[in-house]
Amino acid sequence: MAVGNIAVTVRLPLRVRVRELLDREQVLGPLFVTPALFLLVLLVAYPFCMALYFAVSNAFIGRPSHFVGLRNFVNLWQSDAFRQTFQNAFVFTGSAVALKLVLGISLAVLLNQQLWFKRAIRGAVLLPWVIPTALSTLGWWWMFNSLYSVVNWTGIHLGVMDPPGPNWLGQKYYAMTAVVVVNVWRGLPFFAITILAGLVSIPRELYEAAEADGAGPVARFWHVTLPLLSPVLAIVVLFSTIFTFSDFNIVYVLTHGGPINSTHLFATLARQVGLESGQIGQGAAISLYLFPVLVFVVWVHLRFVRRQAY
Amino acid sequence: MESIGRRRFLGTTAGGGLAGILAARVPPARGQQREISYLCWNNFAPAMDKKQNDIAQRFTRDTGIKLRIDYIAHPQQPAKYAAEVQTQAGHDLVEMRMHFPWLYEPQLTDVSDLVAELEKKHGKTLSSGYEAAHVNGVWRAVPMYHGLFVPTYREDLFKQAGLKVPDTWEELYTVGKELKKMGHPVGIPISQNYDSISTAGPVLWSFGGTEVDRDGRTVRINSPATEQLVEWYKKMYRDCMEPEVLSWSDASNNESLQQGKAGWIHNPVSAYIVAKQRKLPTADLINHHRSLGGPGGRHETDVPRSIGIWKFSKHVEPAKEWVRYLLGKREVYDEWVMSADAFNLPIYERLQDHPVLRTDPKYAALGAPGVQYHLYGWPAPPTDKIQLITNSFIVPNMLAKAVTGTPNKEAIAWAETEMKKIMAG
Repeated sequence: MAVGNIAVTVRLPLRVRVRELLDREQVLGPLFVTPALFLLVLLVAYPFCMALYFAVSNAFIGRPSHFVGLRNFVNLWQSDAFRQTFQNAFVFTGSAVALKLVLGISLAVLLNQQLWFKRAIRGAVLLPWVIPTALSTLGWWWMFNSLYSVVNWTGIHLGVMDPPGPNWLGQKYYAMTAVVVVNVWRGLPFFAITILAGLVSIPRELYEAAEADGAGPVARFWHVTLPLLSPVLAIVVLFSTIFTFSDFNIVYVLTHGGPINSTHLFATLARQVGLESGQIGQGAAISLYLFPVLVFVVWVHLRFVRRQAY
Repeated sequence: MESIGRRRFLGTTAGGGLAGILAARVPPARGQQREISYLCWNNFAPAMDKKQNDIAQRFTRDTGIKLRIDYIAHPQQPAKYAAEVQTQAGHDLVEMRMHFPWLYEPQLTDVSDLVAELEKKHGKTLSSGYEAAHVNGVWRAVPMYHGLFVPTYREDLFKQAGLKVPDTWEELYTVGKELKKMGHPVGIPISQNYDSISTAGPVLWSFGGTEVDRDGRTVRINSPATEQLVEWYKKMYRDCMEPEVLSWSDASNNESLQQGKAGWIHNPVSAYIVAKQRKLPTADLINHHRSLGGPGGRHETDVPRSIGIWKFSKHVEPAKEWVRYLLGKREVYDEWVMSADAFNLPIYERLQDHPVLRTDPKYAALGAPGVQYHLYGWPAPPTDKIQLITNSFIVPNMLAKAVTGTPNKEAIAWAETEMKKIMAG
């Protein structure tokens, strides 16, 4: 500050200086972002980089390791269990996500109608998503259990199954069906509620206009609902694809990857190889095998969503 | 002589001492923390954990060493141990199941001195304890106890049908056929669980076969003995068992026997103990008999447990004191073993005729001599390759393939290929 020809420096109180500093966007922004960034680096980036490092090394629990390049990835392809797992992952994810999508849209449309006890029903729909997965899967394990299967008991008493009924967790196709069913049961609320949110946001006038133009319920669904829902659907499918690919609990509790590896997923096989057998390098390679594919899927989806949005 | 001032004297001695301590990375004896921590599994015999806590309190009172025991479920052990090893931090002592001392060999303190002391007191360690904890010539863990696999059967059904208690796996087939006709099939899992391996191994060994040679490298699964094994499983599956065994977990055979369905199972004595504790109607009907044999002898898989001390522990000596206290004092060890009600038995030769076997006449079969106890994959040492073969459930999967229609030779060739790939990897 200059008073006449004398320069005077006035030190503002600390409180005021801090307030001034925080008023600047270029300071406040990074300040707010830093904790989240720190957490991301600590909890996501660091473990991810470690996993990458392990995947290209011959790491074995507690022993010195060295770089082996892509040998783990190449060797894995020699393993029958891994090839089976690779196939299972696509069958499991493809069928589970498709079912969740179809059933999720149906359920959301149903929930969007004027129903009695609407709130209670919407709350109840969320239940499978709220209960811890391991616990609810244990319930399913009992229902599919070869000794006490309530599914078979019901099927036999309804006359739709011949005694003793399918060996749900002991035969490969049935076992895959069982894990898909539980995954669909578990993931359906996510689809239904998210799609419902999308449905609610569609303006009623569009339906009224379509109705005035003579469009029936099916035409209204195809030409109004579905196009306007597509960005929401894309996001839901994207998230669900990633979660389903990396599912662990359901298979671990229900089948442990059996029978004869027919239900192993990347996560369960990675645990078996990486933790239980100590081969961390191979385990990490199993978990990261589909990482490039998933990155591509994410890129395509986000591109699609962006195009829909603008 | 130059006189040293009070300040300089204090500065020099304190600085030098601190430097020495920092260089050695070991605190001086007076400053050492007399507190140790032990990571243990949640015992299938919970009374043993409770007793261990009581013993730990007495240990603290007698030695002044504080002991903290943490318990975790056994499926969580690999992840927890891997985390401790990777971070080089955690507990001082860890409970080790089966082949764990091999898995964590470079991270475990040499405890040969402790084992020598214990063997002097209690006799040699049983074969499975030796196979599990004696790693490349060094004891990496101290054998504690083992849980036996033993044939468990419905005595009432045998009496009702006039069946003779089997002595060989072949005789079990004859008995099993009758049991299945009575609606009480044999319960041997053929699925991706450890009980499946725990039966398949002894049957294979009894027929004179092995998965991998003693050298730990040469795959021997494709042999006439394996063909016998596969044939035996196929006829057992067809005539003595039900397809549910293909989806069984480790607990299923117990449940099947306890709920009154199975007539014979191969499992640790827990099936009976639990039935007795829960006062199930089947408890009085269950009994055990001697392990089955074959042309290759009488073998069993058991579950040896040992206790290891991490190399990164800063309290190795106090940790060793705990091991001496728990396992070295006969009266303490007996008290601990008795609390498990024959589920966990001493793993030292001179303690084989333990009083716990006389607490119930149904435990008599557990003390039968002439049975050899081994780890999975025996006679190969449980190296990382053998562990991967075991944990990949290759033998149960080979058997599952065969009993569900894959030709024997094809199933065996598949197992051989998988094992060879692991060996070459």
